Amino acid sequence: MSHIKHFALQLKALGVAGLITMVCALLTVSVLALIILFTIGESIPAFMGWTGAPLTWENRWTAEQDRYGLYVVLVSSAMVSVGALAISVPIGISAAIFIAEIMPRRLKDVVKPLIELIGVIPSVLYGFIGLKVLVPLIQSLFDIYYGQTALTASIVLAIMVVPMIVSLSSEVISAVPIEYREAAIALGATRWQTIKHVVLPTAMPGITASVILAFGRAIGETVAVVMVAGCSTELTKPFWNFLQPVYPMTAAIALGFGEAEVGGAAYHAYFAIGTILLTFAFLVNLSASLLMKKGPIRLRL
Amino acid sequence: MRRFNFFGNLMLAVCGFSTAVLLVIFGYICYLLTSGVNALRLNFLFSSILDNGIFEPLIGTFYLFSGATVIVAPVGTLTAIYMVEYSSRSKLTRLVDNAINNLACAPSIIFGMFGFTFFCKFMGLGISVLSGWLTMACMMLPIMIRSVEEILRMILESVREAALALGATKWQMISYVILSSAMPGILTGIILSIARIAGETAAVLFTACFYTMRGLPKTPLDPILTLTYYLYVMILFKPGYLDPGEVFGLALVLFLLTTTLSSIAFAVRAYYRRRWGRWM
Repeated sequence: MSHIKHFALQLKALGVAGLITMVCALLTVSVLALIILFTIGESIPAFMGWTGAPLTWENRWTAEQDRYGLYVVLVSSAMVSVGALAISVPIGISAAIFIAEIMPRRLKDVVKPLIELIGVIPSVLYGFIGLKVLVPLIQSLFDIYYGQTALTASIVLAIMVVPMIVSLSSEVISAVPIEYREAAIALGATRWQTIKHVVLPTAMPGITASVILAFGRAIGETVAVVMVAGCSTELTKPFWNFLQPVYPMTAAIALGFGEAEVGGAAYHAYFAIGTILLTFAFLVNLSASLLMKKGPIRLRL
Repeated sequence: MRRFNFFGNLMLAVCGFSTAVLLVIFGYICYLLTSGVNALRLNFLFSSILDNGIFEPLIGTFYLFSGATVIVAPVGTLTAIYMVEYSSRSKLTRLVDNAINNLACAPSIIFGMFGFTFFCKFMGLGISVLSGWLTMACMMLPIMIRSVEEILRMILESVREAALALGATKWQMISYVILSSAMPGILTGIILSIARIAGETAAVLFTACFYTMRGLPKTPLDPILTLTYYLYVMILFKPGYLDPGEVFGLALVLFLLTTTLSSIAFAVRAYYRRRWGRWM
């Protein structure tokens, strides 16, 4: 009883206006709750095998033949996102070091907003550019018939996530206290030694978080991937061969979900992919925010 | 010692080189995207898609984000006010905080699937502008709330105390003092989230757009075309329908729209961060 009384008193303290704001806050929470509820709820029939066409681990995903093999979509997603990180992380972090540590302040004030602005270019435009420029390039460079491959998708994704890595990492590196650097330089360290032994270890949790966030962005990216990944329904070569067309999870949803009959096997199978994507997104968010809290530097996402 | 120094300078040079590579790549992308400038005539912008123009997608994009803004601006602002002014340490605030973080990082295709299932099918709105507005509002919420929250937390405690000491009630304090100072934050939130929506394809794919839609929507229950969706369809399903120059023109319009909106928002944010940041 005292709980209810306490709650009623709190509500009274809020007043009418406060109550309205509270309802809006509840609405925000319920949006997320509904998304989780519907995505997971619609995927249960597929995971439990109630649909007649169960999810399997086979190397084929075609809604026309009612075959939903998770192998092809999962492996394809892993290929393109790991490939994207392999390209973007070295370039992104070294650029972040240069921008935060070496670049003169005036230049930095120009370059950092520019990179942030590059990050808002719509993904459909990256797909368009990839299709116009990168696909013919890969075609002629490796002398293959079909230029839409895992490598193409990895490069496009790498270009898309690099602004995120650069701007977050350079922010973290700039936030390392100046006293740390002064102490290192006073001990006779060179500029590079200071960066390597003092600045980078301090900033490491934040840099790792930026890489994890970039991974989350890469795995959830849809439209650009649909355009350049090739989207064949099965992997014809082993997964370490990046010169083959792939079918990432998001591409499967984008191409197939519109035609799926509501309540049918395909519909639930696509929601199963959606649940996997959502789980990845939440894990990414959780680990990134835990890492951001660690260490002497606190950053808000 | 000399050898170390040489190695260090080499590494720094490598860092500088990769920065240069990035800037060159981004410059090249921008150059490519702006190469459609020849197609950019008033005729192209304001003639129907049946006459190889982009009038319907252009209007559709504006239609989509104006409706979504009308929904999200009050909800987002009031949520931020609850979080900062009413109970900054309560369980609900922490819950909202986590919800925003998770909403912000959910892939946009998830919003598309959710919008299709919940708004189009469960609520029976069909593939329509209305479903599109509601789906987009869900996507805009985190950006909106974060922007307003940021500026509300910048407002000095003494400003609030001064208003209360003059005899204002809490709501009078919020509506007369806090909201007027928070205007830049609200504005930034709106522009930033519009920029996000204007470039969004995956979420409108199943909720608001219809491939065979012709003409402008008459009621909010009609589907629309947006610039992103039209470009997506033209590239992927109907290559050769438009001239290459016109496709580049379409891409340029989309590029200009999103970058202009974002640079306005970044400028406003940088301005108030610089002006108010030192109060913190």
